[in-house]
Amino acid sequence: MIEARNLRKEYGDFAAVEDSTFEVTDGEVFGIVGPNGAGKTTTLKMLAGLLEPTSGDATVAGYDASETEMRSHLGFLPEESPLYEEMTPITYLEFFADLYDVPGSLAEERIQETLDELDLEHQDRQLGDMSKGMKRKVAIARSLINDPDVLVYDEPASGLDPLTTNYIIQFTEQLAAEGKTIVFSAHNLFHVESICDRVAIMNEGEIVARGDLAALQSEHGETTYHVYTTVEVPDSVRKNGRWHRVVGTMEAVERTRDAAQGAGGSVADIRTEESSLEEVFLNVAEGHEGEGKSEA
Amino acid sequence: MQIRKLLRIARWEVTKNAGGVDRRTVAVVVAAIALLALVAPLVAAGGVGVDSGLYRVGVDESSPYYDVVRQDDTFVVTGPDATAYDDGDLELLITGERIRVQPTTKGEAAHDELRSSVQQYNDEQLKLEANQSAAFPVSVALEFRSQTGLGDRLRIDQDGGEATETDGAGGDDGGAAGETDDGAAGEADGGENASRSVDPDTESGGVGGLGGLGGPLGNEGVSGSPSDIDPPFPFESLVLAFVFVIPMNFVIQAYGSTILSERINRRGELLLVSPVSRLDIIGGKTLPYFLGAMAIEGAIAVGLIYTVDGTVGGLVSILAMTPLVLLFLGATFLGAMFARSFKELTFVTVTITVVLTSYAFVPAIFTDVGAIALISPLTIVVRNLQNEGVTLGEFAFSTLPPMLSAIVFFGLGSGLYREEDMFDQRSIRGRVLDALAGPISRPYHVGVMTAVLIPFVFVLELLAVASLFALGEISIVLILVVVAVLEELAKSLHIYAAYEHRTFEARRKVALVLGAISGVGFFLGEKLALLAQLVGLPELAIGEAALQGAVFTGPILVLFLLAPLALHVTTAAISAVGAGRGKRSYILGVGIAILVHLGYNLAVVTAVA
Amino acid sequence: MRDPRSWSRVTIGKRELSALSREKTIVLAILIQLFIAAFSSFLVVGLTSLYDPGAVEEGEIEVGVTGEQQNRLVEAAQTEGVGTVRFQGRADATAAFEDGDIDAVLVATGEQAEQGRVIQVDAIVPSEDLRTTLIVVQVRSVLTELERTERLARSEFLEQPPVAVPSSTDGSPFFGFTYTILLPLLLFLPAFISGSIVVDSITEEIERGTLELLRAAPLSLTDIVDGKAGAMILLAPLQAMLWLGLLRLNGIGINHALPLLVVVTAIATITVVLGIVLALVTARRRQAQLLYSILALLLFGTAALLPEHPASTIALLAVDSTTPGTFAHVAGITVFAVVVLAVVRRYVTGLDPESL
Repeated sequence: MIEARNLRKEYGDFAAVEDSTFEVTDGEVFGIVGPNGAGKTTTLKMLAGLLEPTSGDATVAGYDASETEMRSHLGFLPEESPLYEEMTPITYLEFFADLYDVPGSLAEERIQETLDELDLEHQDRQLGDMSKGMKRKVAIARSLINDPDVLVYDEPASGLDPLTTNYIIQFTEQLAAEGKTIVFSAHNLFHVESICDRVAIMNEGEIVARGDLAALQSEHGETTYHVYTTVEVPDSVRKNGRWHRVVGTMEAVERTRDAAQGAGGSVADIRTEESSLEEVFLNVAEGHEGEGKSEA
Repeated sequence: MQIRKLLRIARWEVTKNAGGVDRRTVAVVVAAIALLALVAPLVAAGGVGVDSGLYRVGVDESSPYYDVVRQDDTFVVTGPDATAYDDGDLELLITGERIRVQPTTKGEAAHDELRSSVQQYNDEQLKLEANQSAAFPVSVALEFRSQTGLGDRLRIDQDGGEATETDGAGGDDGGAAGETDDGAAGEADGGENASRSVDPDTESGGVGGLGGLGGPLGNEGVSGSPSDIDPPFPFESLVLAFVFVIPMNFVIQAYGSTILSERINRRGELLLVSPVSRLDIIGGKTLPYFLGAMAIEGAIAVGLIYTVDGTVGGLVSILAMTPLVLLFLGATFLGAMFARSFKELTFVTVTITVVLTSYAFVPAIFTDVGAIALISPLTIVVRNLQNEGVTLGEFAFSTLPPMLSAIVFFGLGSGLYREEDMFDQRSIRGRVLDALAGPISRPYHVGVMTAVLIPFVFVLELLAVASLFALGEISIVLILVVVAVLEELAKSLHIYAAYEHRTFEARRKVALVLGAISGVGFFLGEKLALLAQLVGLPELAIGEAALQGAVFTGPILVLFLLAPLALHVTTAAISAVGAGRGKRSYILGVGIAILVHLGYNLAVVTAVA
Repeated sequence: MRDPRSWSRVTIGKRELSALSREKTIVLAILIQLFIAAFSSFLVVGLTSLYDPGAVEEGEIEVGVTGEQQNRLVEAAQTEGVGTVRFQGRADATAAFEDGDIDAVLVATGEQAEQGRVIQVDAIVPSEDLRTTLIVVQVRSVLTELERTERLARSEFLEQPPVAVPSSTDGSPFFGFTYTILLPLLLFLPAFISGSIVVDSITEEIERGTLELLRAAPLSLTDIVDGKAGAMILLAPLQAMLWLGLLRLNGIGINHALPLLVVVTAIATITVVLGIVLALVTARRRQAQLLYSILALLLFGTAALLPEHPASTIALLAVDSTTPGTFAHVAGITVFAVVVLAVVRRYVTGLDPESL
């Protein structure tokens, strides 16, 4: 559904995005995470055809990202929802329905449906008078007005209160369940973890790690083993009547078992704990920083 | 570009408050205009009187001047108080027939005012006399007639094109001037016989007076007493220019706002991501303002023609106004793409207003005199109103440069109408360079860009000619300076911009190549413009002088055709080398290029003259 | 104790001014005003020189003279310093004119009118020539001189002899223009621009949503508006001072500089107040600017209903032809400005900032 090949965007001497290549298949939810200034927004805008790549290209829904026709199949949600403050939600959505060639009756139906789904109150108020959360909802409604196959959401839940954030995440999950292909960016990994099939981690313009969550974790994450023994072994602490030791490798687990057996005891329990995406992300980012990039 | 989508954006712009003006504002505007219309007659009736009470005069009631100064509002009249005069509190002290004048500029101005006041007073008094042949012993019939030959002396309007006379083009020039004014000449011929039979009183409105719109617009003969003669004062052209240009200023206010609003808070981003091309967006946003402006200008033109002639017409005027309207909108569009804030937009709009108003304006002043007036489309409108014919060539000469300039403005502006450039806060200088550098990615683009900028050079040079040539001898040098500056900037500014964007390598060889391409581009573009102009308007010698320095025929043609090419290439290369090395070197480079260009032009002009 | 809020107003004012200088727009503004001044001066000097050839350079024209009364014409032309060439007949003169050898043709014949003979002069002047105006002016001066001498000769037939025309002087024809048009223009423009900037400044804060940020600081809406208004009101007399200084350097004497600056400040206050109200009421730049320019124009127009238009007041002050009425107008405008400012401040204080 989406293919990015060697996307690169330079501003003068500075490369905001360096040779990003990735692919998003039909119905997949793909998350791009990274700190501020990592190049997430630039990447998404290149997918949406808003920015012309310096080199490389992107295909979205079978069209080149630079084609106007592509945009009919795309729902784009920018990081900040720029709205025409003097319009009401309905006129605003009608305006875009018109631009997206959605026939009048269908548009009306869709607008009402989406607004109901999003629990939007005060539909007759001017957008300028609405709260940030409501504006965000209107913006999401707008991104769905053409019933697109592909959704590109830039930080859909940033800067909102936890309730609205949660609501929007759930709504996005629901869209994913309906079979939409979704690419979105976030610096809040919590949401990514809950809804993404696959993730790419960006830092300083480059994709530094990618894959499904399991793969990323095994590659960049750490698995820690909590070994509980009946007798004291080196580096263990007493906990709830048992001895508890934390190790990082399977060999260490085996050594602990041998040590326990050697001391006449046994292993009572072994629990595995995989590091969260947050930790993976930090690992990757730190490792990347360690390489000593010149531009900051 | 899809017309359907364009129209859709246009419709939204007007109806749903996407960018337009709400009903309340429209209501207030209409009310304000109505009030203004209501006040205007009151103001006019009360006399505009900005100079009333300007001079203070002490006069005794027995003096013959007493009545004179009493009926002139410019004077404040008091008794003949010599002490007040000595204290400088009176400009004029009149006792009997004796007039004492303060030896100051104000005193002299008061004296001049008194002089014209007396003449006016006398004329009014004499009209009451029983013996009219004693009161008005001289009766004049004035007739305007074209001169076909130039005689042994040069006329003023040849000064700018001095280089032209030597090859005998001067004769053509005069002839052509007559030819362009066939209608008026014919009228004048008829007038020779007619004027005697006309009752002096009905005709004494004068050519320049403002007694009704119909009279003054014609360049017809006049008869009456000598004081009835008014030189053809271009007052009506001024009024017309104002009538046409002022509504445009309100239109561009709103238009600039709507464009800049799209750039505030990234509002326009969503339009950019919708399946609409940016040309549709720009076109859709511009169309309502264009149509609105054309409706206003059209109504004014048709209304004026109806008032003057009593007929419905004015198609030519409307056609002629189109490029001017587009020029206003195009400049505003580019300005709104440059501006960072509303404040900046205000200044940009005011600049556009002032510059374009003077562009539309200065030449319109010379409407009755000299083909140079044709550089402004308003001249066509004025001629249309005067029922004078306009040839196709004249029409093209007048409307094409502003039309092309408008297209370039829109082109450069729409180059900036994209995510990357719309929402950042770069300075105007940076944006100008962005706009120029944007379309350039290959060396030959430099030449194309140079050629594209030629309409501006053309318009600005002609404007300079129009404003400067009244100054006499010095005007030739001044015009040549303006020409050198404009042409060198047009050839090099975008090269500098491209270097700022690191489009090209900063090696001297590359710079020389770019300069050469730019020079060739300018030369070709200029030749094209010249060709079009020669075909259309062979009589416009001044235009040639401005663009070319000189026009040559005969065996030296080839040499003189190649000389300008060499000049343009050389100077552009000088600037390009400077541009490659940064801002200071660029300024230095352009400075040298301008001097070389000026030197060349002066050499050519003196050599030929 | 010093009100800490007065400081924040000063801070806002300073920010307005520094924004102007950073964007270099104020430079642009002054350049534009200079351009307008230069342009209008050019218009007037240009037009006046067309009208009054003596004002710029001596126009030398040659007039072909013929007809039975040609001697009188030649006499009149000599008095006026216009060159003449005598011709045998009308046809010869016309031919010479058409060849461009002479600039105009005057044919003077005697003619019987109702109450006696008049001199009938047929004048032919070139059309389509920049010198037309100049030539017509010269021809007119010759004919007026002819008329004057003829009237003198026939004065016994007149019931009331004409008033003697004072001799001409070399007074500057631009004197009136300088004080009654140029100076008011230069002094009104800064005030007009100040109001326009206030509209921009307030609507921009509203549209960008930065007004909220400002209000997050311990400031009331009134403080913010005060700061913006204060800066722009002060800017106008500063620019006016610049113009007055420049005019003085050009040898144009300006009297009553202080009252002039008071008038400018008062007018700037009025335009700024207009700008504030429109910006706050519409909250949109497009609407506010459009209304501002039209209403400012209306205000300027209706001011003509005053016994003395503010433009006249400025001219009379500068040229030192003041009357008590002039100063009354200065006081009146100032009082009006203070009153509207007070009223608008009350309005702003009562305004709910949330509604913007």
